[in-house]
Amino acid sequence: MPGEEIFYLSVSELAKRIESKKLSPVDLTQAYLERSQKFGPRFNAYALLTPEIALEQAQAAEKEIQRGHYRGPLHGIPYAAKDLLAVKGLPTTWGAKPFANQVFDYNATVIDHLNRVGAVMLGKASMIELAGGMGYRFASASLQGEAKNPWDATCWTCGSSSGSGAIVAAGLAAFAIGTETWGSIICPSAYCGVSGLRPTYGRVSRYGAMALAPSMDKIGPVARSAEDCARVFAAIAGHDPKDRGTVPIDKGAFTYSPSMELRARPLKIGWLTNAWKSLEPGVAKPVEAASRVLRKYSSSVRDAALPVGPWEEAGGIIVAVESAASFRSLIRSGRVSDLTDPLGQIAGYVNEQYSAADYLQALKVREIAQKKMDSLFETFDVLATASQPVPATPLPLNLETGLVFPDPLGGLGNICGLPAISVPCGFTEKNLPVGLQFVGRAGDDYAVIQAGRVFQSHTDWHRKHPKLH
Amino acid sequence: MGNKPDSAMSRREFARRAAFVSAAATLTPSNLLGAKSGAGPLPKQQPANTAKLSPEGQAEVDSRIQSILAQYGSRLSDTQKADIRRLAIEAQPSLDRLRAFATENGDGPALYLKPLMEREKKPSPMPAPPKPASAPKNS
Repeated sequence: MPGEEIFYLSVSELAKRIESKKLSPVDLTQAYLERSQKFGPRFNAYALLTPEIALEQAQAAEKEIQRGHYRGPLHGIPYAAKDLLAVKGLPTTWGAKPFANQVFDYNATVIDHLNRVGAVMLGKASMIELAGGMGYRFASASLQGEAKNPWDATCWTCGSSSGSGAIVAAGLAAFAIGTETWGSIICPSAYCGVSGLRPTYGRVSRYGAMALAPSMDKIGPVARSAEDCARVFAAIAGHDPKDRGTVPIDKGAFTYSPSMELRARPLKIGWLTNAWKSLEPGVAKPVEAASRVLRKYSSSVRDAALPVGPWEEAGGIIVAVESAASFRSLIRSGRVSDLTDPLGQIAGYVNEQYSAADYLQALKVREIAQKKMDSLFETFDVLATASQPVPATPLPLNLETGLVFPDPLGGLGNICGLPAISVPCGFTEKNLPVGLQFVGRAGDDYAVIQAGRVFQSHTDWHRKHPKLH
Repeated sequence: MGNKPDSAMSRREFARRAAFVSAAATLTPSNLLGAKSGAGPLPKQQPANTAKLSPEGQAEVDSRIQSILAQYGSRLSDTQKADIRRLAIEAQPSLDRLRAFATENGDGPALYLKPLMEREKKPSPMPAPPKPASAPKNS
């Protein structure tokens, strides 16, 4: 049986061993399953473990590879899917009590893509109820309970891809699938010290995924490195006629190979001076060190500033109105009161009240924001800043009052559908991870991946992992 | 790090954005809503620690709350009603900022998000005008 360190190997390294038949997908899957059974409940990381499916898929992968039919770098690699992705015949709870018994008779497109490349699904990752679509005040806003951070179990993983972050950080799977409408991949990746890619809006099909704010919902990988994110993204990206939000065929697909980096362009990096009003001291120090690394290894790092405007306000209205529409029957039926969180039980009533005129004003502001950001990317390939201004927060914290700060980059990045990646860049004095974020022009997912790769080629923060006993 | 105007909406992450609130006041529910349940008379005072709204903004908030209570009041506790009132009040300054942002009649709303993935706004290069035929060199 594989030793402890194998749980933290990258997809790329696992793939090498699997392809060369030095590592059995069945052994790897069994090992991850045992570890997930042991540590998953400690962190409330999983909504559901699916050992039968996992072993069946692993055995199929092993047989194929033994016969010489190797499908590629995800073949035989175990992963977890956020529990808002439909998997035929399995409960898909959306993290919420009103949907605890929901079962779909089809797979989400992302699940089909991962099946096609031979990945092995270990189970469904826990999540914040309705991905936070009705709002939430506490980390406990989940059918599975509060997701605990493997670096410090008294702290949260952030949401809404809370289980995905915990699973990857704790070495319970090689990667996980998360989703982001606003912050739900970047924040858990930062809090958990893992790498997370928020693709350009429309690069990954949402068919079979819970809709929250359909004009902002995105699906992406949480993994051990930017390279791993690229490999998973390559498997799940692409146009899908079943999701009209996906980009056209010629712009949807993504291919990746490490050799691409040999001919990659030098990146022009904009270091954002106004992304956060301030950073907590424990975060500021690693982020400043990360800035020095970037400046040392790239000759094109210059200060940059985000345009000023009501971007967060626009994003707030868009999410509020679209989520009220997405969960209209839940709100109107009163079943919203079955949600765990006190804010989630009522916010939908308020969100229903916003006018169409205000929504359209938000969409006009979005159009202006898109043009302003696109103009900024005339000068820079990527923008860089801290992923979050604070480290993982204590589990009982009231999120509504305990943490208050503007997030214009989150607003702009998400209303404009821009790709972003969060990579680990150090730790606070209390050994909580800190993340560095790169944001790119719409469609230029490769630039943010490249930026993450460059940073990780000169640092080893992404190789650190918590010690679990 | 640089500064951002303090008027920016202060919400940390998506969780609370979805509720469209800015963190501010902690309310004492009994001060706000007298009715036990259902749509009742609206309290006149604003909760402490919230930004003062214009009369028009206050009227809009009151109308919004009245609508919620008329439709859903019977299923809400007093605490929930107070929370709803707070959420509605706290959302108003954000709405006002959004509405105040200058947009033109011709500005197109991004009705279904289409990321700017190509240089659509740049006209394609004009084809070069045909050159006049030059005389044969050796004629």
